[in-house]
Parts: sequence; structure tokens; C-alpha cells
Amino acid sequence: MTLHSETYDVIVIGGGHAGTEAALAAARTGASTLLLTQSIETLGQMSCNPAIGGIGKSHLVREIDALGGAMALATDAAGIQFRTLNASKGPAVRATRAQADRTLYRKAIRHMLEAQENLAIFQQSVVDIEIRKGRVEGVLTAVGLEFSAPAVVLTTGTFLGGRIHIGLSNHAGGRAGDPASNALAERLRALPFAVDRLKTGTPPRIAGDTVDFDRLKPQWGDEPCPVMSFMSDGSEHPRQVPCHIAATNAETHRIIRDGLDRSPMFAGEIEGVGPRYCPSIEDKVVRFADRASHQVFVEPEGLDTNELYPNGISTSLPFEVQFALVRSMEGFERARITRPGYAIEYDFFDPRGLEPSLETKAVSGLYFAGQINGTTGYEEAAAQGLLAGLNAARKVAGSAPWTPGRHEAYLGVLVDDLVTLGTNEPYRMFSSRAEYRLRLRQDNADLRLTPVARELGLVDASRWRRFEAKRATIERAAAALKATRLTPGSDLCARLEARCGETVAKETNLFDFLKRPGVTAADLRAAGAVAADIPAVALEQVEVQAKYDGYIRRQDREIAKLKAQEAVMLPAELDYESIEGLSNELKEKLSLAKPRTLARASRIPGITPAALSLLLIHAKRLTGERGKAVRPEDRAPAREAAPAGERAARRSA
Amino acid sequence: MSTVDTDTIAAVATAPGRGGVGIVRVSGPLTPKIANALTGRKLPPRSAVYCGFRDGEGAALDRGIAIHFEAPNSLTGEDVLELQAHGGPVVLDMLLGRVLSLGARRADPGEFTQRAFVNGKLDLAQAEAVLDLVNSATRQAARGAVRSLSGEFSKHVHAIAHEVLELRVFCEGAIDFPDEDIDFLSESDVGERLASARKRLSKLRARARQGALLKDGLNVVIAGAPNVGKSSLLNRLSGEDRAIVTSVPGTTRDTLDADFDLDGMPVRVVDTAGLRDTGDAVETEGINRAHRAMAAADVVLWVVDDREAGGSPGGDACTGAATIIVRNKADLSGRRPGSISPGAVRICALTGEGVDALATEIKQAAGYRAGEGIFTARARHLDALAAADTALAAAAERLVANYGELVAEDLRDAHDHLGAIVGRVSADDLLGEIFASFCIGK
Repeated sequence: MTLHSETYDVIVIGGGHAGTEAALAAARTGASTLLLTQSIETLGQMSCNPAIGGIGKSHLVREIDALGGAMALATDAAGIQFRTLNASKGPAVRATRAQADRTLYRKAIRHMLEAQENLAIFQQSVVDIEIRKGRVEGVLTAVGLEFSAPAVVLTTGTFLGGRIHIGLSNHAGGRAGDPASNALAERLRALPFAVDRLKTGTPPRIAGDTVDFDRLKPQWGDEPCPVMSFMSDGSEHPRQVPCHIAATNAETHRIIRDGLDRSPMFAGEIEGVGPRYCPSIEDKVVRFADRASHQVFVEPEGLDTNELYPNGISTSLPFEVQFALVRSMEGFERARITRPGYAIEYDFFDPRGLEPSLETKAVSGLYFAGQINGTTGYEEAAAQGLLAGLNAARKVAGSAPWTPGRHEAYLGVLVDDLVTLGTNEPYRMFSSRAEYRLRLRQDNADLRLTPVARELGLVDASRWRRFEAKRATIERAAAALKATRLTPGSDLCARLEARCGETVAKETNLFDFLKRPGVTAADLRAAGAVAADIPAVALEQVEVQAKYDGYIRRQDREIAKLKAQEAVMLPAELDYESIEGLSNELKEKLSLAKPRTLARASRIPGITPAALSLLLIHAKRLTGERGKAVRPEDRAPAREAAPAGERAARRSA
Repeated sequence: MSTVDTDTIAAVATAPGRGGVGIVRVSGPLTPKIANALTGRKLPPRSAVYCGFRDGEGAALDRGIAIHFEAPNSLTGEDVLELQAHGGPVVLDMLLGRVLSLGARRADPGEFTQRAFVNGKLDLAQAEAVLDLVNSATRQAARGAVRSLSGEFSKHVHAIAHEVLELRVFCEGAIDFPDEDIDFLSESDVGERLASARKRLSKLRARARQGALLKDGLNVVIAGAPNVGKSSLLNRLSGEDRAIVTSVPGTTRDTLDADFDLDGMPVRVVDTAGLRDTGDAVETEGINRAHRAMAAADVVLWVVDDREAGGSPGGDACTGAATIIVRNKADLSGRRPGSISPGAVRICALTGEGVDALATEIKQAAGYRAGEGIFTARARHLDALAAADTALAAAAERLVANYGELVAEDLRDAHDHLGAIVGRVSADDLLGEIFASFCIGK
């Protein structure tokens, strides 16, 4: 007996970074969308450190932005300190990092959610997902309300089966004081998904008025102040404040070592695997015993609060040890802790159970996004959320799913790594994961993705107009440089040679000249080689294109190979166990991953080219089509499937 | 072995040795361009054209027949060029080298056939054969790699790959973790380490090219029970009295080898201790060595006494290498020496009768088993070293210009090429190295 029921196209469960981007993306494409959250107050909550971006991460944020998402805009509205990382290195590995005011960030996200057409928000805990005949039909809430939809996106983060550890005591709970979603966790554990445990942690928070900032090193943001969104110009930023840098010392390390017997990690209370790149302070002290000191970034939580986030001392030691270790640091002698640090263990679903669209393989219409898939970080969560929301809406509309390739976006790398390889630690993006990072830059995320986003219905008219104008100036600038001849002996040539210390032996053009390591766009500008009406941003873009030209062309050849392998589908019914010539280890890995394409199979660790050949041939035998590669449309049961099976039986007999 | 590929591949398609005519086959999108550069003319499709083959300076390498098969009407379904030249190994090597310099890469074992299959040039009934071929080519390639990678060579490649990995750990660490207060190597250190890796690599390449580290040629192992005439056969094939021959079973205690030339194909023939159960410790070690030699063999000559029944090697003696049954002592059995059936000959090692038929069998086994030659493993390794060398040189150049991300890209490229020999390292493994080496993370 149902008390109340409503019907939507897409239901999103969870209002974190994945859930909000999912709901916004689905609604942007025109799907009637419902966002269900345990608390409207915490929509867009930053539950870990108050910062967005960083290497690899700001690349994702820019991509979200290029796809019309919210994260970059909210960061620009909430950021209180912006820095460009790797500014002295090349453009491909430059990144933007922002400290964000938690309250302003939540406010910006909530504002965008409320302003979004086709989107309803409702505060209720979900206790069940209704599934009939392998298809999702809707959800049931704690008070018995029923919401129906043919597509549901689940983004419950660390709430599923959450367990919080402080010292040797522990209790059930979600992030930052929220309740754990245990009813839903129980329900999901009963479904055919592989569940595993991960762990993450936070540091104790500190009252700013008890810290002696004069004894810490201030770190101000960059001038001019960077922006996150392609739509921003910096006028969106609130007042800017500095972070501070503190350090642990020998006394801190002694206190930690003395408290190790009460650490849940070292006492074996925690079964989940923590990230290698974000170790707790006790981990760092034990593993790198020779280091006399570790850096601590003291980050402001916001403009209207004096609470601080000491980034670098995440811990699950007992409170009394946390208290002592904080007070052992210079400048923190009188410090008061406002919230204790803790480790949280939570359930995640093996992402190898997902399609690249983030739809689960087991239940049609059910999508997973964010930490539930084993990732960490707001940016990773938001990017998945956007993709899942988009694809949920596309499924309901009867359109094919869309996922960018590894060569198109960090989002493509993220999803491909997850669904192909799975993860055994919270997965975080790094630029070294992206083999095509020279083309996947934060500066060109819009050039890479906004055109397709426009086709997908994710981008509104104002963003599109702005993008088209920018693209046109870049094209004009490139054309102008390519059209400007540089003849040995000419005035221009002499000026440039003198300025750059280069020699022009035979006629070239400005674009090719710019490819030389010793030449910059600024040199061209200073020598009067480019027209004054070519804007700096366009000239920079052309400079990047020139500098990376040879490398990008080499990568293009690799990508062509990759695409050919992507076109070869591996049938789901392919029985890896029966393939002669594959090692047992590979059989096991392939059976688990069930890669959809030959390209995905090629990225499974330990695979050899010979093994790929075997897969290709077996796939082709199974589909039994003559004269063309095995493509999606060939996946219907093939004529020769039966004889092939008989042959296999004969061979094994 | 690449599976679906846009590369243009090339290989010598005829059996190694000094045949009258040798064929170099090219397949892939660059084929028309290569044909043009090589012959200096546009070849009409499917016509045999007698013409000169020219090197990079336009000088004649050889004269012969060129045939261009246009896609899809070719062996592989791609654009295919067949060059029929004079069959000596030197000429064919130069011709292949020229084709590779025009942008093709050396074909992997079985790759032409595989492309034919992928492009629907073989029907399903032939799929079984292709599977067998791939399996066999894989075994061949693996054996080739084992031989080429034996001992010192492998150690050197591993050492260089490790140096490159360490460089990558520093470069990638500096890129991905700029906020850590870690002194990832200063640039001068990176420069020094890079120079050291390059020096090691070019030294290794020089020695490898001289053949100092790589065993070359066909590895033929003579095996069988004691006293069936294995050592006599070694002496007969090599044309010298290398092995002591007596009528006492178990005379040969250690493996013995000799090099000889089989119609232009270099062959190393290895004599082994007779396989039998024995309590003699020295002889047992000799037998163990015999088994190891057989495992690395391209061709095993399994010698039996023609007066006895049976023939095939059993149990441990079965290695997966091409095996030729050699029924020796025809003088004593009184049967006629010569070919018996494919893979079996009767000879008399003492008089030399039937040894010609054996030579033919060896060539067959060497040349045609895997579709393409078995010497490619060694050549591929040298190609990979050359490509790694080029990438490291580029890295050094970019380092001077202070382009850290391009240095990282060139190092990745170099690492991938070395990885083609000693196993690739994934992005996640690399991150693992970074986290193990440095205290990363807030």
C-alpha cells in the first residue's frame, strides 16, 4: 500500500559532488529529474579538506566545466585562495588549485540546483531500490514514499556501511557527523555486485584563534588570480586570504610513535585499504622514519569561520594523542581542537561491474557514481556524476550512451581505468595516469569537449557563444602565424634572431619558428611579429600547439591504433577459461573484467600481444562474420556460433 | 604481436639461406609510398615490374621484380608490395632495412597471416589453422626471446630499464606532486643520470650489433639415447672432428657445439649427452644440460638407431621445438638412406649418406614453421633498443631546453620500448614506485 507516488525520468540518490552534478546534467538535457538527499542543508558539502583542484584534478574540473557542469563555477564563487601549480613547467601539466569557503561553496551549488529547470529536490532517506526483471523501476524512502523512474543514479559516497574509527573505539556513521545509510547498504549487498572495503581519514580541525600565525609561513594565492571556469574572469571571487605552512617535529613524531599501540590501523581494527598518496600522519612517521619533519598546510575553512583544516596530519589515533601531537607543533602550543580526526571505513562496489556509461552491468537503468565506485576526491566524484546523470537521461530518451576516450579527456582515463582495472585503494587522478596528457590540458578542455557537449544538450547558448568566439580567435591567430613568412635577411627575421638567439637558415613561417625550444610567443609579440588585435589567450593557445606539435602527432598515431582496437568488440559470452594459450592468471583477470573491447583488454596488466591475438581470433570465431572486424552490430548470435562451440568441445575432449 | 594495427609491416618472406630468389613482403597503408620511393615509379596494380631497387641516395641496391597488390585484393587485404630480389641474406637484409627506413616496422611472427584473418581473407575453416599458427608463432617467439635474452644481454636491458624507471620516478614525481617539500632530483642530477643511461644503452647496442651478446642463427640440438651416433652426426654436419666418438655409451658428458653454414644460414649445432637413467653424477649433470639445450632449441634432431623400432622422443624430451627424427646407422640396418617422410630421414653419419636430405629437412623446419623467420626476435630487440636510444636522445635535448613534461614523455617512450623486451611497467606501478620512494601526501 503506497502512501504517495511520483514518476520521474531520472532519480539521483545523494547530494554530494557526484549527485549534484548528476542531477544537474540529467536535467540540463531535458530529463525530468528528482534529487533525493538525506539533508538539503548539506547539498554540495565538502566533507574532507576545503580545496578543489590540483594536478590531474583541476583537469577534471575544467572538463566538467566544458561539459556545462557546476563545480568550476561554484569554485570561482567560493574560492578564497587560488594558485597555479607547476607554473614553471609546461602547459600540459599546469593545474589550478583553490581553497574554498565551505559555506559559499554549498550556497553556490544549492543556488544552481534550485535554478535548474526540470529538477526537483526532496529530503528523504532511501531505504530500497525497486528492481524487477533486472531493470530498475524506482526507489522507496524511509517513510514509505515511492518514486518511480526508469533510471536511477546512486551516489551515496562513504555512507554505505560507514564505520568511523577514533582510537580503538568505533561506531557506525557517514562523513562529518551524518548518519550511515545502513538500510540501503544491506539492500545493495543483496544484489549481485562485488562489494569491498576502503578506508580514508581526516585530520582534527582546529580553532584559528588559538593558533599563533606569526610563527607560521603564510602562503598567498597567485596574482593575477587564476580562475577555474571558462566562463569566469576573476570578478566572481570573494575576498582572498592566505594559507599557512606549519611542520611536525621530533617531539610530534615521538608522541605519535608512543600512541601507535592505540591506533586502529596498527592494531588491525581496520580492514579497508587506505590510499598510498594520502597516508595518515602515523603512517608517514612509521614508513619514513628518517624524516625529521613533515609539512602541514593550514587551510582556512572559510571567511566567516576561524576553523582551520591542518592538511597533512590526518589521523585515527585516540583523541588524547591527537591533542598532544597538535600542540607539539610550532605555533600550535595553545591550539584547541574543534573536531577530532578520524578514519572512516566504507563499502564500495567493484567498478568492473560497470559499463563505461557507469550503468551497472547487473541492473539495467541503475548507475553508480562517485566514491561508491572506489574513487576519492570531489573532482573525481563530480566528473563521474556528470557522466552518469547524462547517460541515465540518454537511456530514458532512447539515445546511445556517451563516454569520452582516454585520448579525449581525463574523465575518459578515469572511467576506463575503473571499469577495466578496478581499484584496490581509493582511486585518485594523477597526470601520470593519462598517457595522452600533452593533449589533455586544462587550457584546452573546452576545445576538446564543449563541441560534443553542445550536441549532447549539456551546454547552454551563452556558454556556446562564448566558446565559438574563443575558438575563432585561436584559429585566426594560428592562421596568421602560419601565413607570416620569415625570410632570412628580412627586418623581422633579424629582430627575432637577435631577440631569441636563433638563426633562420631558410625561409620558414612564424608557427614553425615558434616550435623551436628557445622561442616564446612573448618573443614574437615583443618583436612586433604578431598583430596587436590577437589576444594573449589565443596566442598562448597557438604557442602550446606549436610546442607540442611533434609529440601530439606521434600520439595521434598511437591513438589511431587504440581506436582500431576499440572497434573490436569482445562478445560477453567469450569463455576465457577455454582459450588455449592464455596463462591462468590472465584467464582469471579477463574473466573478472570481461573487457568490452580489445582496447580495454590490452590494458589489463600482464596481457601480451600474443594473448590479444588469441582474443581477437576467438572473438571473431564466436561472431563468425567474414570479411570485417567484429563490431557492435555483429554481436547478435552468429550462424557459426554452434559449430565453433562443438569444435571447442572436441578440442577439450 | 600487434593485433589490430595501422602500422605498415615488412619481412623477408622466403626461408633464410642462399636461395636463388628471395622475397621481401610489405603490407599496410604506407605501402604505395614505400613502393614509390624504392622503385622511383608508380607501380600498376597486380603487374610484375622488373626494376631497380634504390637506396636512400638513389643508388641501386639490387634489380628485381616488384608487384603491388592494392587493398583489398591482396594476401592480407591491405596494400601489399612484393619485392623479388636476389636471394642472398645480405641483399635481402639491405632491402628490408631500406623498407624499414621508409616507415615500415618489422613484422611479428605470424602477423601477415593474422592480418589476412582479421581482414576476412581466410574463412572460418582456416581459423583453426590460424590459432595453431599464433600459438606456434608465440612459442617460437618466446624461444627466440629466451635465446636472445639469455644471461648478460637481459641483465643489461633490465639495468637500463631500471635507470629509466628511476628517472621517470623523479620526473613524474616532480610533475604530480609539486607541493611536497621533496627535493626530486635537481636538473643536473637528472641530466647526469640520463647521460649515464644513454651511455650504457649505446654500449649495449654496439656490442649487440657485433653479435657479442646475442646468439645468432639457427640453434640445432642433437639429442637421443646414448650411443646412437649423435657425436658422429655433429662431426659430419660441422665438417670437423669436434666430438670424440667411441663405441662406449655415455662418452659425451657435456654439451658441445660447432658452427657451420647451411646454404648461407648460420647454424649452431649442439651435441648433447645421451639421455638415460644413470647413477654417475657427472653424466647426470650432462643430461640436465642436454634438457636445457633442447628447451632453447629451434630444431631438435632426435637420433635413433635405425636397427631399433620406435622413434619419437617421449616425456621430458618433448620440447615443442621442431623435431626431426634421424634414423642413423643405415650402414648397419641395410636400409636406403634418404627422406622417409616429412620430419624423418635415414642417414649414415659415418659415410655422410642421407645428410643432404637432413639438411633439406632442417631448412624446412627453420623456415616455414612460423610463417615468418625465427630470427626476428633478435632483430626486434635491436629495433627496440634503437628506438629507446632515439627517445633518450630526445629527452636529453628537451632537458636542456627545460621542458620537463616533454622529458617525461620521451622517457615514457623509451621505457615502453625497453618494456617491449623486458616487460612493460603500468602507470599504477610507476605511481607505486613514487609512493615507495618518497613520502607523498597530506
